[in-house]
Amino acid sequence: MAKVAREMVEKSGVKVDELVELLVKNAAAELTTFYYYTILRANLIGLEGEGIKAIAETARIEDRNHFEALVPRIYELGGKLPEDMKVFHDMSACPPASLPKNPKDIRAILEVLVNAERCAVRGYTHICNLTAGKDHRTHALSLAILNEEIEHESWFSEFLGEGPSGHFMRQGETSPFVRPFMA
Amino acid sequence: MRRFTRQELAFFNGEDGAPAYLAHEGVVYDASGSFLWQKGKHQVRHRAGQDLTGALDQAPHGPDVLVRLPIVGVLADEEYRHRLMSAGVS
Repeated sequence: MAKVAREMVEKSGVKVDELVELLVKNAAAELTTFYYYTILRANLIGLEGEGIKAIAETARIEDRNHFEALVPRIYELGGKLPEDMKVFHDMSACPPASLPKNPKDIRAILEVLVNAERCAVRGYTHICNLTAGKDHRTHALSLAILNEEIEHESWFSEFLGEGPSGHFMRQGETSPFVRPFMA
Repeated sequence: MRRFTRQELAFFNGEDGAPAYLAHEGVVYDASGSFLWQKGKHQVRHRAGQDLTGALDQAPHGPDVLVRLPIVGVLADEEYRHRLMSAGVS
């Protein structure tokens, strides 16, 4: 634990134990998303699905990167991950991104993907709001993750025909925002 | 429609097997089936069994998320009574 770093956050008025619990729940959401997106990606087949596969894979890897980036901050603030992975799964801040009943329904898969990202956008917006001007490190980390989650949402939203995302596909390495925070 | 006093609503806090109810703008919703309200707690900070109208103002989402939850009653509160009556809720 980074004792003085935690004290500084406490002094700024943040309820550190609540913040740590939020970080753990969001870390759970990231790791479970990484798992469920593996299944979704595997089912993105055929003419409709193949075109989305690469974007789903980028989001999947970046969500795993988010988990990696969150873990050190959890421990810095005096928290820890649950010892039982089943407990970790069930405490996720977002519902499981489960494969739809009809796995051939690509639109339904896209709805699962976009809703998972929207839950993440809300979660990190909340953490950013809690920590702005108070816990600079957690805020910077959450903001970096939020930037990537917003991009994920916009990609899937675009495929659903909700409007342009303004983006082109990722070029180069994944996690341009979060990479500096990865151990 | 069932009317809940705030004291009655407090029993439905999602703990020890109790259903998880929450109130917003005088309407009482059942969040028991929601993954995001396990054991009556939402995102660490919010607990079931309360009127969360004020809390929603600071949430990173609007009241539109409540449409997914079944309605189980209304708050028996003067504050909301006239509003619900004009909306046609008895």
